[in-house]
Formats: sequence, structure tokens, C-alpha cells
Amino acid sequence: MSTVPEAPIRLTLEDDLKRSRLTVFFRLLLALPHFVWLFGWTVLAAFGAILNWLLTLIAGQPPTWLHNFLARYVRYATHVTAFVTLTANPFPGFTGAPGYPVDLEIAGPQRQNRWTVAFRAILAVPALLIASALAQSSSGRNSFSLSLLVACAVLAWFVSLARGRTSRGLRDAAAYALAYSAQTHGYLLLLTDRYPNSDPLAALPEVPERADPIAIEVGDDLRRSRLTVFFRLLLALPHLVWLFLWDVVAFFAALVNSVVTIIRGTSPDSLHRFLSAYLRYRLHVSAFLWLVANPFPGFVGAQGSYPVDLHIAPPERQNRWSAFFRWLLGIPALLLAITYGALAGVVALLGWFASLFTARMPLGLRNAGALALRYGAQTHGYLYMLTPSYPYAGPTREDRPRPTLGEAPASPFAPPAPAAPEGGPPSAA
Amino acid sequence: MTGASRRALPQRWRLLATTLALAAGASVWGLAAHLLWRSTVPSGLHLAHLGASHFFSHGFLQRSSSYARFQEITAVLATVVLLVVLVLYARRGHRLMRESAAGRIGTGMLLGMLGFALVWLAEVPFALVAVWWERRHHVSRQSYAAALLEGFAALGARFLFISLALAIAMGLAGVLRRWWWAVAAPAFVGLALLSTFLSAYLIPNTKPLGSPALRVDAGALARAEGVPRTRVLVQDVHRYTTAPNAEAVGFGPTRRVILWDTLLDGRFTRSQIRVVIAHELGHIAHGHLLRRVGWLALFLIPAAALVALLSRPRGGLAQPEAVPVALLVFVVLQLLAGPLLNVVSRHEEAEADWSALNATHDPAAARGLFVELARTSLADPDPPSWAYVLNADHPTIMQRLAMVSAWQQRQSLRAAELRPRAGPSHVTPRRRARAAAPPAPVTRRGCPTARALLPAARPPAGPHARRSGHRPRCPTV
Repeated sequence: MSTVPEAPIRLTLEDDLKRSRLTVFFRLLLALPHFVWLFGWTVLAAFGAILNWLLTLIAGQPPTWLHNFLARYVRYATHVTAFVTLTANPFPGFTGAPGYPVDLEIAGPQRQNRWTVAFRAILAVPALLIASALAQSSSGRNSFSLSLLVACAVLAWFVSLARGRTSRGLRDAAAYALAYSAQTHGYLLLLTDRYPNSDPLAALPEVPERADPIAIEVGDDLRRSRLTVFFRLLLALPHLVWLFLWDVVAFFAALVNSVVTIIRGTSPDSLHRFLSAYLRYRLHVSAFLWLVANPFPGFVGAQGSYPVDLHIAPPERQNRWSAFFRWLLGIPALLLAITYGALAGVVALLGWFASLFTARMPLGLRNAGALALRYGAQTHGYLYMLTPSYPYAGPTREDRPRPTLGEAPASPFAPPAPAAPEGGPPSAA
Repeated sequence: MTGASRRALPQRWRLLATTLALAAGASVWGLAAHLLWRSTVPSGLHLAHLGASHFFSHGFLQRSSSYARFQEITAVLATVVLLVVLVLYARRGHRLMRESAAGRIGTGMLLGMLGFALVWLAEVPFALVAVWWERRHHVSRQSYAAALLEGFAALGARFLFISLALAIAMGLAGVLRRWWWAVAAPAFVGLALLSTFLSAYLIPNTKPLGSPALRVDAGALARAEGVPRTRVLVQDVHRYTTAPNAEAVGFGPTRRVILWDTLLDGRFTRSQIRVVIAHELGHIAHGHLLRRVGWLALFLIPAAALVALLSRPRGGLAQPEAVPVALLVFVVLQLLAGPLLNVVSRHEEAEADWSALNATHDPAAARGLFVELARTSLADPDPPSWAYVLNADHPTIMQRLAMVSAWQQRQSLRAAELRPRAGPSHVTPRRRARAAAPPAPVTRRGCPTARALLPAARPPAGPHARRSGHRPRCPTV
């Protein structure tokens, strides 16, 4: 029996961020042979998957040859997707052999519970929903939905052409989407019975530590009240009404802030404080609504009042030209923020069901939601001239101390802890 | 004089002042109630007791009785469940404070909303049973899922309402302490007035009256009742119900009459629809919508004072712990006041019927309308006393028919007085003119929410949504 790595399907990254402008420009066309090959392989893999399902139901474990075949297929699909989406640079091979800069480590076949095998397609539905928000785009008659991966690819194309290298944030965000997609396909094809992990901090082999001017702090303990979860959308209504009113005022404040920043080169303290409070309140309400946090938030966006909080650095000098073109420069960030918003919505939907059943929010879903919220807050902060730093698209480990998991910040209205018994604890014999 | 007796003096003065204040308040309350109670229905009007079997078949009477009884019994059970839930919530609801990271007002809002949420959850089975019963009798076409979704959406509106109410009350309590109710009650009355004014814009799926003949009738009736240029609209409800109904909303420039399209589907004649329009115009002409705001004020001021008093053991409404208790007290007071408010409502509906008769001079159409309304909505023409006292916010069908007969009798007497006699006339020109003139409307103001033609129909989603068996009054809780 082969040894099982920490996660049965893990993404490895050996990419140096350099991109050849020539291959970037013609990337979609260069990938055409791979599309044809992948299509043929997919047809074979579909039959292989059905056969694998039957044999695993009978034997309780996938046959090694079929497991290896499907593992190669998933690896090859990941290589091609990484190439097309500019997550990696070199032209990939056609065999799915290990060694590509964006690669997968897939553990050998393991025994699997026959019940989970039998209902694998149904059990995979929630993971497929997240995977579609992360990695798959679709177009209908009157609509088009963009995934995080495709949005990163589009933006990376422009960045790579301009600079000859892609940005780490875009690369890491795309890698996160690829890792989750690979785990989902691996789960669906019975390569593993470990459910895909949506935690962005666990998806990548290395997550950078950053000290962004706008950073999120997550001190949530994952506990969720079933009652408030069930009525979450309705309970948020007063906040949504208040936020709408605040939006109107903040819009005009942001306009004034923009003009003053362009003239003075720095944001005035009063407007910076007001917009910071607005952004913080917006984050609190979004965290409550998307189940990233549990308690009902306050109405003033006070710092330190909520388990998912926003830290905003004081005003700093900003380049007047970047200030003048801020909204234009922010369009790519807005595009990514929209895709992250779709991810937050899917996370909230799945988290709703999970919280109702277990009274806890899964860590992976919570962290995925927090990532989406952090990016949204950074985007708004950038657009409102609170910071000149462009939003960072990838997962990060924030450089901020946070309470240990399980030690949530105490609510000022929490019932008092029971009094300690008189006489102190019993002494050891 | 000893120290104890010196301390007793201010206490005695305080007691005397309190007693005088209460007496003065009660007198003002009584005077206001007396002014609001005034009606154009003649005080000496005698309504004969008419037999229901004279107008309805035995089969219909049995069906309508069974239909209504089931609804009334489920309403009573739902009320019992409501009280049990609220009592439990009053005792333990403060534990949910740990689910809040907001300040005292935000936490209070959360507790208020969660109280409503628990009540809704407890009443879901009764709501589904009500839908089943109405569908079984072909009164409603709404699906169970749609009914649940409608209830859930309506709960959202209630959440916003309770959040606003608690924000005002708790905000005032934080500043004024135990006297918050003296300012909050008038503020809520002001909000009710605003809601009445805006209610015309909150009714969904309305369109202008299509029939030219009915438009002409509506214009003539509005002029006859002294409320010209009152718009008459039609609301699309046939997807949800087969029951006919109509309502009056708004006041001043927003006054409207809303007819359900189920009233215009051919089951009622033009003259019967004229009576309906005249009835609703009667509500507007006699200021019933604004009078209901007045009655609300008479209810709210003592109710708010009682809430303030009874929530003091929990620290008063300035503290979020008191919110579950305040919710219980308010709902209990509302339930206790329900039968009294029904008396007021029936009184006003009777005046609207009388006004319609005076405007249309068509008792046959009125009679036909009431009989047809009962048939199409399966209303019990003559319910038992307990159901009448608890639930009837309209006169019974038999009472309405009796009023038509009484009106006819009056008209006959009046005609006899005006008939020329052989000898010297005992009727002076002034007396003749007074006998011929129709009674003028008393006031010209409006009501908190819609005043409907019938109590039992089940309107679609919207701020005036009601469920059969549940008859929420003008301020919603």
C-alpha cells in the first residue's frame, strides 16, 4: 500500500513567474493541440471512470492500473489548464507525466467506503458548485458568468505582455482554483475519498506573509447558531437598509476624497476615518451575511467590535497620476472582486446547509469566504483612495496576531461566566 | 412632626398627583374615543333579526359554518401556540444576546427579530393547514410553497418594522429612561400616519379600472359621497384566490379604492359592484382610515406605558434583556384589545354600508351583493357569538342584510312624510328639505391600513396580506 501524503491530491508550484511574451500572446492558439488531445482523453476517462466506479464498488478499492490512468488524466488536465490560464509558462507534455511547474502529487489507490463510492456523484455536487465558481465559466443566451480562474487568466495575459512576467497574486489565485478543481475531479473519479478542501491557505504549498495597508483579521471560532443561520438573510435586512443609506453618503465622501487626494496628494484625516469606518461596517455586514462570522454586527463599524475585522493603515502620500486614474486602474480589481463575490455567495449557500446541520462553519469555507471579503475590502479601499496599494489577488497569511481558534472575542452582552466554586480547585494528593 | 411623617407627605402628594393625572388621562381618552365613535348611522336604528335560511340554502349554511369553524379553531390554537412561544422566549430569550456583537440597541433589534422568527416557525404548521383548508374549498389557488415563501417574505417586512420600532423605543429609553413611552407612542402614531399615507403605493399588481361604465359610476359615486377625484384601481389577485374583495387606502392625495379582479370576473352585476365602490368610498368619505390612526393612538399610549412598567424588572427597555418581555406584553395587550378593536371596526363597516345605501339608493343590489359575497367567499352568514366577538371585524352578512331592510324601511317612512296630504300640510318646507337630504359625511379623514369589504378573503403578498383565521389589526406585530 502506498504512503498517503498529507493531502491525497496536492498542488506543487515550481513556477518563477516569468512569462514569454510570444507564447503568452498566442497562448490560446498554441493550446489547440492540447485541447484536441484532452478531448480524446476525456472521452476515454469518462468510460474509465464508470468502470472504476463499478470495480471500486465491488472490490472496495480502485484497481491500480485504472487509478494511475485517471490520475495521469487529472494531472494532464491540470497542466493544460495551467498553461492556458498563464498559471505556468512552458508548453506541457501530452502524457501527464510529473515534472511540470504546476503539478499534482496524487497518492496511490486507497480503500474507500462503498457507500460514499455509490453516491459519489451526488456527494460531489457541493464541491462542483465551488469548483464552478473558482474554475469554470459559462455562457447562456442572455448571461455570462466568469470564474476566478478565467478572470485571473485574462488579467495575467495583459500583465504578462506588458511586463514579461505575471504577478504572484494572480498566479496564486489561479493556482488555488486549479488545486481545488483537481481535488474535486480526483474525488469524483474516485482517486481519493477525501473531500476537497476549499481552504485557500491549505491549497498552495507556500502562502506569502504580507503586511498590506488594508488587512483582514479573522478571530471567528467557527461556531454558528442554527437559529440565526436559518434566518440570516432576513436578520441582515436592517443592516442592508442602513448600509444602503451609508452607501449614498460614502459615495459622495469618496468623490470629495478623490478630488482632495488628487490636489493634496494625500487623503484628509476626517474623510479617511469616515470611509474606513464605512468599509469596516461593510465588511462586518458582509461577514455576517455570508456566514464568515456568527454574531449580529453593530451599526457603526467600530474597530475591534467584530470577530472578522478590518485594519486600515493611516493615510499616506499617493501618486497624483494614479489617484487621477484610480477608477480606471481599478477596473481589473473590480473584475476579480466580482468573481470573488460569486465565490462568497456559493460559500455562503453551502455554509448555510453545513451550519444548520452541524452548528459549525467548515474551516475551508470560512477561509474561502474571508479571502473573498478581504479582496473586496482592499478593492474598495483602493478605489476610495484609502491606500495606493493595489489589491492582492492571492491567498495570504496576514501579518497580524489573532486569537487562538476557539477563543472568540467576548460579546459585551454575553451571559457572565459561572462563578468559580469557593475554596479553589481541589489540591493534588 | 416626625421624620417618617415628613417623608410620607411627599409620597401622598405624589400619589395624589398620579391619581389626578390618571383621571385626567382617562377623561381625555374617553372624550377622544367618544369623538372617534361618532357615526352617521342613525342611533335609533333597529335591526330586525333575519333568518339565514331565508337567503341561503341549508347545504350552504352547513358548508360555510364548517369552513369558518375550522378556521376559527385553528386561529385559536395558533394564538395559544403564539403565547406559549412568547412566554418561553420572555423567560429564556435573553440568552440569545451572545449571538450579538452589536451595541444595546442592535442587540435589542436582534432579540426582537428572533422573537418574531420563533413565532413564525411555530405557526408554520397552522399556515399550511389554512392553505390546505382553503384549497380544499376552492377559495384559494395558492400552492403550499408559495404560501410559505410569501410568509417568509412577509417576515422580512416584520423584521424591518420591529427593528425600526425597537430602535426608536430603545433609543428613547436610553435618554428618557422610564418616560420613553410618552415620546415613543406619538412617534409610532406618526409612523402609522405616514404608513397610511404611503400605503396606496405599496399595493402590488394594480391597474386602472378598465370598464368605462364602472369608471363613470365610480366618478358619480365619489361626487355623491363628497370625495371627488378618488382613484379606483383593480388589483390582480386571481392567481392566488377566488374570493372577491375590495379595500380603501390612503388619505388626501393618496386616497384610493382598490377592487380585486375577482370582483370583476362576471359573478357580480354592475349594480352590485357600484355598491362595493360606494362602500369603499364611504370609508374615505367618513375618514375611517384616519380615525383608525386615532384609535391606534388611544391603544398605543397606555400600551406603551404598560410595556415600560412591566419591563422594568429586566432593567427597562433601555436594556436588550427586556425586549423579550416587552414583546410578550405588547402581543398580549394586542390580543386583549382585539375584541374591542373589532367593535370599532364593525361600527365603521356599518357606517360604510349605510353610506353606500345612501349613495346608490339600490337596496336590491346591496342585498344581492351581500348574499353573493357570502356564497363566493364561503363566509358564515351568522356565526356563533364567541367567534363573532373574537374574530368578526365586519358585521355579519345577516346584520348587513338587516341594515339594508332597515334602510329601506326608513326610506319608506321618509317618502310617506313627504307625500302630499289632503288637508293642511304638517310638513314645513324646511322639514321637507331636511327629510329629503341624504345624511352628510361626518369627517373627511382616513385610516391606518386598508379597510376591506370582507374579512374572510385571503389577499396576496403585500403589506395588507392576511390569512384566513388570522386577522391582524392595523399596526402589525
